[in-house]
Amino acid sequence: MAVNWLRKLASHKRAPVFPVLGKQGDKALRYLALSPEIELVDSPRHASVLLIAGEVPADRLEPLRRVHDQLPDPFTTLWFRNEPWPHLENVDRIDDLTDLPAALTKAHRELMTGQRDSGCRILSDRPPNPWKGEGDFGQGGEGMMGGVPYGRPMAMNMQEDISDGLTLDSLTFRLGPFFMAFPPGMAAEVTLQGDLVQSWETQLEPYPQRLDAVFFNARKHPVPIAEIELARARHHLQRLYHALHLAGLEALSLSSLRLAHGLSTSSTLDGLRRRLVRSGFFHLAAVGGGVLNTEQARQFGGPAARAAGLADDLRSHDAGYRRLGFSPVCQDGGGVSARWKQILDEVEQSLMLARQAERDEVYTNDVDCIETPRGPWDEQPPEDASAILDEILPGLEWGDALATIASLDIAAVADRGGGTQSPGESRAVQGGSGNVVK
Amino acid sequence: MLLSELFLPVLMVMFMLTVGAYVVAVLDRLIAGAFGAPQAGRVWLAPMARGAWLMTQHANATEAPDWQAWRLAPALYLALAAIGLAVVPWSESLVATDLVTSVVLWGSVEALATVVIFLHGWSANALLALIGGYRYVALGLSYILISMFVLIGVALPAESLQFTQVVASQEALWNVIRQPLGLPLFLIVGLGMTFWGPLNLADSKDLAGGTASEISGPPRLVWDVARAAMLVAFSGVAASAFLGGWMGPWLPGPLWMAIKMLAVLLVLLLLGRVLPRIAPERCVTLMWVVLLPLSFIDLVWAGIGALL
Repeated sequence: MAVNWLRKLASHKRAPVFPVLGKQGDKALRYLALSPEIELVDSPRHASVLLIAGEVPADRLEPLRRVHDQLPDPFTTLWFRNEPWPHLENVDRIDDLTDLPAALTKAHRELMTGQRDSGCRILSDRPPNPWKGEGDFGQGGEGMMGGVPYGRPMAMNMQEDISDGLTLDSLTFRLGPFFMAFPPGMAAEVTLQGDLVQSWETQLEPYPQRLDAVFFNARKHPVPIAEIELARARHHLQRLYHALHLAGLEALSLSSLRLAHGLSTSSTLDGLRRRLVRSGFFHLAAVGGGVLNTEQARQFGGPAARAAGLADDLRSHDAGYRRLGFSPVCQDGGGVSARWKQILDEVEQSLMLARQAERDEVYTNDVDCIETPRGPWDEQPPEDASAILDEILPGLEWGDALATIASLDIAAVADRGGGTQSPGESRAVQGGSGNVVK
Repeated sequence: MLLSELFLPVLMVMFMLTVGAYVVAVLDRLIAGAFGAPQAGRVWLAPMARGAWLMTQHANATEAPDWQAWRLAPALYLALAAIGLAVVPWSESLVATDLVTSVVLWGSVEALATVVIFLHGWSANALLALIGGYRYVALGLSYILISMFVLIGVALPAESLQFTQVVASQEALWNVIRQPLGLPLFLIVGLGMTFWGPLNLADSKDLAGGTASEISGPPRLVWDVARAAMLVAFSGVAASAFLGGWMGPWLPGPLWMAIKMLAVLLVLLLLGRVLPRIAPERCVTLMWVVLLPLSFIDLVWAGIGALL
């Protein structure tokens, strides 16, 4: 009786969902972030529903199995635009984004009220690697050295400290491809000394990202500059959402996302920028590191390069943009703080260009080379830049390293468009909280 | 004797633990909603629904954790919060444990919290939880030192280490005015000690929940309740040390105390929602280079005030 009552009460909780992002799954993540019925959690241990959003490539299936088995009982899974594994029972597939919050809530409620059985484990409950440690506790070898118990290197003081002289045991581990602070699909092997990144090796590149369809259309024929600039600003604001969420500024991150969803030529950035500056984001948060040198910045291109002082922007060569009096905005510094200031400036500039272009009905002129929000696209779309992390992250503290990753748009651009925001999505977002930022 | 010195104090602390943690959860949701976080359902029901969900969820295992320490740490943190609440005076006579060394006992709670939080992170035998534990230890000492200097400052005019005497010493002038640096410094210490908002470096988002990243079910419920209860205990200590405790016109003493605790709680929760998480390195610099010297000045100021 008491248990039934407890379960009934538990079913009223917002559905705690851990999202595993497959290809183009980040769209679902951003949509759910604004859903009042859904609580997105950062650890699979804190969820009752595992959402697999988008196609997960074959080389990420083993980590997916491990994440699946980390959810505590009772749990269930829901597959969005992806075919569920055949051996899983009572598992739903959803293809319409607007149906997703209701499906997740239903799954959670049924789980709590006992109408749905908890998911079954996929992996056997034994260590994934054989015991290769020496001694009873893997401490083996000489003194406290040696051994790779369960396939993991022991924490050992084998590397010279690269920062403050306080030498701690090095700890090597693999993280990703579903770690929420990484770009979707990315995995890395990291060595830490305490909180300090000693070495970083990107092992799996993030999935290529699909930009708004307008950028692909712009490669085929002239498109309205108002449309392309709004898509650019939206892209930047969506990235800002992830960074602010990571920095612990939940309210501002959601404001950024709402602004992105409801973006129009009448939108302004003033309110968000003012709140961001007043929050102390540029002084208190982990925005001090991640400086790109000139060569790295040039290799990266786009806003990251302009944040390092390089005034490279293909829009400067386009007759349509020249008619609007466009000139690239730049920062100097090239670090995390400079990149976010650059992004804010570029969003503001895009909104201004969009207003002017809408009024004067200006179209792009060049089709063979365009400036995407990720960087220049002339012969090839912008390529993956995750290898650059191996150079710039060592020496940073963990929080600074993650803030650096969030500030860099490292994923390659896929050669197919991702479509524009669906009307249903837009409606749901505006109706979700009744708080539309203009 | 047994009733007045054991059962009633225990009941009082249990009541404050439960109600206090619930109030923190509701207030935090209200503030989040005011800042635009999506809300569903009734705010007053949400903490209970969350508690019920955690009660029905299984407590998971990691690979080879230190089981005893892992399960014990949330309970120990809750016990520390209870000890903190036990020394908070609600009126001249309504106090669960009116120790003559209650200020020192609170200091020991702050010190032991460092041990318990590290234990929680370390015992999970998981990476992100361990980093969370490391972080807290790296910063904990600076919080404790500032707190001690500030609390000695309020003990000086009272000539006592007893919170009831500290409150009584503010009859003419509250310490928030007498020692203007004290309360702001103590509030920052409170955010650090309870790892809340901008100083939540142990259970932060960049660590997927840090020391709590691997726990689920009842242990997580205990941990969450303990964190909220510690915030309440801290608010009680701050209200007693700086805001005149139960003192105030017209209303009964316990009501004044509740109002003042709520005010402190609101400030802490508000700061938690409007400020970003401070980078650990900046936090260390801020604590040792800025706040610790300020706490010296506060202590000297309090000493001069006591001599005059």
